[in-house]
Amino acid sequence: ICILWDCETGKQLALLKTNSAVRTCGFDFSGNIIMFSTDKQMGYQCFLNFFDLRDPQQIEDNQPYMSVPCNDYKITSAVWGPLGEFVIAGHENGEINQYSAKTGEIIKKAKEHTKQINDIQPSVDLTMFITASKDNTAKLFDAASLDHIKTFRTERPVNSAAISPIMDHVVMGGGQEAMEVTTTSTRIGKFEARFFHAAYEEEFGRVKGHFGPINCVAFHPDGKSYSSGGEDGYVRIHYFDPPYFDFELEA
Amino acid sequence: MLLRTISDRYPISISDRDTSTKSKLLGDILREKPQEADGIDSVVVVDNVPQVGPERLEKLKNVIHKIFSKFGKITTEFYPEADGLTKGYIFLEYAAPTQALEAVKNADGYKLDKQHTFRVNLFTDFDKYMNISDEWETPEKQPFKDFGNMRHWIEDQDCRDQYSVIFEAGERTAIFANDAKEPITFEERARWTETYVRWSPKGTYLATFHQRGIALWGGEKFKQIQRFSHQGVSLIDFSPCERYVVTFSPLIDTKEDPQAIIIWDILTGQKKRGFHCESSAHWPIFKWSHDGKFFARMTPDTLSIYETPSMGLLDKKSLKINGIKDFSWSPGDNILAFWVPEDKDIPARVTLMQMPSRHEIRVRNLFNVVDCKLHWQRNGDYLCVKVDRTPKGTQGVVTNFEIFRMREKQVPVDAMEMKESIIAFAWEPNGSKFAVLHGESPRINASFYNVRNNGKIDLLKMFDKQQANSIFWSPQGQFLVLAGLRSMNGALAFVDTSDCIMMNIAEHYMASDVEWDPTGRYVVTSVSWWSHKVDNAYWLWTFQGRLLQKNNKDRFCQLLWRPRPPTLLSADQIKNIKKDLKKYSKIFEQKDRLSQSKASKELVDKRRTMMEEYHRYRETAQQVYQEQKTIRLELRGGVDTDELDSNVDDWEEETIEFFINEEIIPLGDLKLNNLKWQKNSSMGRTCKLHTKDLHIHLGASSHGVK
Repeated sequence: ICILWDCETGKQLALLKTNSAVRTCGFDFSGNIIMFSTDKQMGYQCFLNFFDLRDPQQIEDNQPYMSVPCNDYKITSAVWGPLGEFVIAGHENGEINQYSAKTGEIIKKAKEHTKQINDIQPSVDLTMFITASKDNTAKLFDAASLDHIKTFRTERPVNSAAISPIMDHVVMGGGQEAMEVTTTSTRIGKFEARFFHAAYEEEFGRVKGHFGPINCVAFHPDGKSYSSGGEDGYVRIHYFDPPYFDFELEA
Repeated sequence: MLLRTISDRYPISISDRDTSTKSKLLGDILREKPQEADGIDSVVVVDNVPQVGPERLEKLKNVIHKIFSKFGKITTEFYPEADGLTKGYIFLEYAAPTQALEAVKNADGYKLDKQHTFRVNLFTDFDKYMNISDEWETPEKQPFKDFGNMRHWIEDQDCRDQYSVIFEAGERTAIFANDAKEPITFEERARWTETYVRWSPKGTYLATFHQRGIALWGGEKFKQIQRFSHQGVSLIDFSPCERYVVTFSPLIDTKEDPQAIIIWDILTGQKKRGFHCESSAHWPIFKWSHDGKFFARMTPDTLSIYETPSMGLLDKKSLKINGIKDFSWSPGDNILAFWVPEDKDIPARVTLMQMPSRHEIRVRNLFNVVDCKLHWQRNGDYLCVKVDRTPKGTQGVVTNFEIFRMREKQVPVDAMEMKESIIAFAWEPNGSKFAVLHGESPRINASFYNVRNNGKIDLLKMFDKQQANSIFWSPQGQFLVLAGLRSMNGALAFVDTSDCIMMNIAEHYMASDVEWDPTGRYVVTSVSWWSHKVDNAYWLWTFQGRLLQKNNKDRFCQLLWRPRPPTLLSADQIKNIKKDLKKYSKIFEQKDRLSQSKASKELVDKRRTMMEEYHRYRETAQQVYQEQKTIRLELRGGVDTDELDSNVDDWEEETIEFFINEEIIPLGDLKLNNLKWQKNSSMGRTCKLHTKDLHIHLGASSHGVK
């Protein structure tokens, strides 16, 4: 299901039932159109659905004004483009597609990752976005052209990545799923959030603390803190010390 | 003729078409039906047979028969005569061609008496040799294949050793030059090998494995030097002199043509000799002497020693050693060590035998032996035989080390008893020390011993409660690494045995291998994808245990250092260099500093370029962003949300206080000096109370901004 909430009152404004699990959702820039994707499950295909909130009939009838089917590889993460013209979707096989919000056609494609895209997050001005992939890398793209700009490499699958709103930094979190690790790790508290310099592609810092893989990271809109949530069930919020803002790699 | 006789006896008409009945009734007789093709291939010609007259012919025939029926059933024999005497050569026909072959193999060269040595040949051979053309064609001269300087890598100005890395689960193989800063890629190829790689003992060749055989690569550009065709090859071994390579394949092996193990001449590419092999359980099956002059293998109750380059059995005879369990060559001399277990009244013993004389230099009797293991010191100066015994009257097993001092007259032996079970043993490669890991997990101890000239074995030091299951000595001696590989999660201890100090204790989680470089300056620990599916990487350490690099490689499998050929410097030259070491150190340090600053300069330049590029991109993106401002305003109904603190006028800031905590502290006689409320930077307020004797800070948190 996909639910629309009022942040101020906490009231449920709409409840849209779906045939399979909802993977990802979001508002466009105007806040009038929502999109969400459903998983390929139990015989149902993966769909990218669009609802216009200004038309209450769509909500009442649970009828999106457009439903785009995805045949081969399901959508695993998606965000809106900067002006609400298209949705940028990441797929199970590492592909990135721009789906037009008007026609549902694929406007642009990019295949830079080799494995599933776990997370996509845009920059604060929506001009670029970062993808986190199971192929142990995160990549920076230009939102409009889908040009591949930077790559950040690690040795573990990346579950989530975010772009700092005020510094040339990106943060990434990841780790192996518990069932995929065959040995019991004696390393407690050693799943780390990793900070990379966005221009140099170099890692400059790590924050320990989680004792399970990190599933989600996000910067505070003011860029002075970030938070991470993990498999261990904890959400950690970290405020940056002054040295973080002064830190510079020699150049 | 035969058939007629049968039909006389069995007057049943048997038609030719009724083959099944025919074979049932006449089966064995049919088998003997003369077949023309067989005839020639089963015939041998024996020459140098005594020429006898008719009165001694019967006796001659009996003798011949006795000798030659050993190889099979002789169906016909023909003794041509001339002038009343046998001609001196005879023809024998066997029941099958294989028997004829056996006769040729074994009877050729048989000495009947002083004047008569049989020469036996296949009849068909005569045909073959008769038909050789009269024209002698000189074999074509093969053009000289110049592979360039095969020792090119040794000439590296910065003395960087090379190592091979297999990664991407075997898809890619790369050769790197080791630099303390970061590995320098020398060569990288996809599918260079199908399974793994091996370096030759002096580092000249890199061997790769393929379904059809192995290939050797070398020279400056790693060109293909040689190829050896051996279907399904799975194991190889080089002779220490690098002249020969031995390959093993478990695939079909025919009786006539042994194909399981083949010995090749590396320079010519020729197949020198093939051997059968029952199992490859203890590879290498053939063990080489240190100079490549001999190679030997053990089969039940036998030790067969072959010599090169003829590839024939030394003295044409194997050594009969009943019950032989294990053997090995001294790495420094042509001496064989082997042991046999107890046999009724004869105790178990270890024997040292000089080759090629077969002179027994030393024999050591051992009692109540369960098992023995031979450990040679790398230069052949010492041999340690680890003996597991069950002393009379006890149930348990104790271990003794029998230390043979090879360089002293008559090879004195000293025994040393070890109280605990032994996990690992290793000699210092070029010295007189050895290290032992003993005990049982979790109480594992590491002990270091030194063997003195008078035979006394001193315990230098024992470290207890170690997390280790393997010992790795530096190839130059003195330093070693104690490692707890695999199940012990990669615990590492770097030890200097000159004073038995632990220089550093570290960990490479889940490390599966430890490899010293040939100079003893660096150690590589690695997590191989073959043993652990995550975190595959190799780490570079100094010999003192300082971590220099962590190299992650996708599905890293194997790292092997390229061995170095023995030094060309004489002992005197080495002594002089050591004397002048300070002078050389200064020059090297300067060089290092220069290259360090060069590296940082390179890095800095690289970063500068990247930043410039990135900024240019951001500028273009910003421009587009600004151009789109009107669209954004439209989408949000005229409200400008571009800046975080845009539309400040619409913002209302409200400070809310929450009651958090009340604390009653009796101040008693303390005089209150100062009471201050302070507003903290971002969070809340604190209250400071200053009295003469103490300062108290109270914190209350309030938060609320709209």
